[in-house]
Amino acid sequence: MRDVAIVAAGQSEFGEFPQKSIKEIFAEAFDDMKSSLAGALDPSVIEAAYVGTLGVGGFQLGQPGPLLAKHVGLGNIPVTRVENACASGGFALLSAVLAVGSGQYDVVLAAGVEKMRDTSAMQGRYWLGVSGDTEYERLAGLTFAGIYAVMASRYMHDYHVPKKYLSMVAVKNHSHGALNPKAHFQRKITLEQAMGAANVAYPLNLFDCSPTSDGAAAVLVTSLERAREFTPSPVKVLGFGAGTDYLAIHERRSITGLEAARIAATKAFAMAGISPSDIDVAEVHDCFTIAEIMAYEDIGFAGRGEGWKLLEAGETTLGGRMPVNPSGGLKAKGHPLGATGIAQAVEIFNQLRGKAGKRQVAGARFGLTHNVGGSGGAATVFIFGIDA
Amino acid sequence: MGAYISVPVWERTIAQRYGLKGQRCLGCGAVLFPPKVVCPECGGHSFEAASLSGRGRIYSFTVIAGGGAPPEFEWQANAVGSYVVGLVELEEGPRIIAQIVGVDPRAAMAAPLFEDSAFEDSGGSSGDKGKRSLIGLPVKAVIRKVYEQEGVIRYGYKFKVVSEV
Ligand SMILES: [Zn+2]
Repeated sequence: MRDVAIVAAGQSEFGEFPQKSIKEIFAEAFDDMKSSLAGALDPSVIEAAYVGTLGVGGFQLGQPGPLLAKHVGLGNIPVTRVENACASGGFALLSAVLAVGSGQYDVVLAAGVEKMRDTSAMQGRYWLGVSGDTEYERLAGLTFAGIYAVMASRYMHDYHVPKKYLSMVAVKNHSHGALNPKAHFQRKITLEQAMGAANVAYPLNLFDCSPTSDGAAAVLVTSLERAREFTPSPVKVLGFGAGTDYLAIHERRSITGLEAARIAATKAFAMAGISPSDIDVAEVHDCFTIAEIMAYEDIGFAGRGEGWKLLEAGETTLGGRMPVNPSGGLKAKGHPLGATGIAQAVEIFNQLRGKAGKRQVAGARFGLTHNVGGSGGAATVFIFGIDA
Repeated sequence: MGAYISVPVWERTIAQRYGLKGQRCLGCGAVLFPPKVVCPECGGHSFEAASLSGRGRIYSFTVIAGGGAPPEFEWQANAVGSYVVGLVELEEGPRIIAQIVGVDPRAAMAAPLFEDSAFEDSGGSSGDKGKRSLIGLPVKAVIRKVYEQEGVIRYGYKFKVVSEV
């Protein structure tokens, strides 16, 4: 595969926007992506596009790709909707990277969008469960949070982890989100608030859960060969991996880690030729606090059962040895499902180019994104570096 | 609006819902539930029917807050508030996800998730050191109403805690 780079990246504000449809939200991300370029972007150079979206609410389940591509002025190019639940964005990026890497196209758009807020409470609860195993998992009365809660109970049981450490993930990511003007939640919370919130799915409370958000994100993927036609500082895709696992939690041997993410990370590091200790900054899939702790272990930042210990020393907080989720993560930045995997790449793109503002990780050279679908049925990991 | 399982599709799984009918892999002997077309242990494709005892232990669990229940469980949330869902490891091997009945959700949340005197906070509220976590407790399958759709009450297995043998 030939070398591939990201040359432009942007996202809409994440939050609740009743006045905007998916078209306006998508256009906002596309415009923000264009503004990351030094010059203007001629949309006719884009040869293909992949749009990640689950389609929450169901108001544009069919062909959101063509709808959105034509809305932002792309040509009559092949556009495909990519669906892998919360990893739809990561898999849209994977498709774009493969399409350019194969040599078929030189310039491809990878984007994601979701509009989740203007659904009724009942609809919202329905849509939050659509990515689980319907026949057996869901019919136990299990919610999406409930599936991660079952993982959390066993993780805390096996490794003797007090609840406090889960809440520390929320406190950290909210403190990061407070520095991100596009985050859904831009306020800090205290450990007491995080630990004392109302139960959602024990041991997970309200502050252990990421919000449902409206939002979109977009990146422009090109061959490394042509990257400098667009920007003097492209971000190179050094490695990537993707994996799958049994969808239902009762089919998995281990429920204290996500096999799909482990496979994705192992492949990505092998391709990049670097190790987890080389990563300077990471955006991981903290849909629930326990998910960030398991991500530390699945990626290799910590040994099995040791991930929670990174929080004690503040190693993954901004200013620490290896900040994780400087954007605020899904927890504070927000989690518009299809946009999430792309938005993670947007943050790493900005971090590696020294453009992350108040949440900049000084001197970051290697960045990683970790995007998980549903409760671990699918995952992608990308490793990025500045092309010197 | 709810997870849509038509009556014919539900009927197809009555043997599992009412009788815990699983299968035994003729290649490696693994007992599987629900039935599969490929054995996850050995990749085999040949099976014989195997009935499960319904006895096992709680491997992990959660307490779902009534306010967040999926729409098809709204009736239950309205009636009882929070409810307990467990991942049960059956004595034959397979794990099954199902509701745990007859357990007070508050008590389930108050008991520590692990026994370790080194930590003040081990998941439960303070002063509950004597209480036992649901994890590891023995259970047996019972038939209960699961939910209702298209005017048909769907019955199926749940689990209830039994005393140690
Ligand atoms: Zn077998």
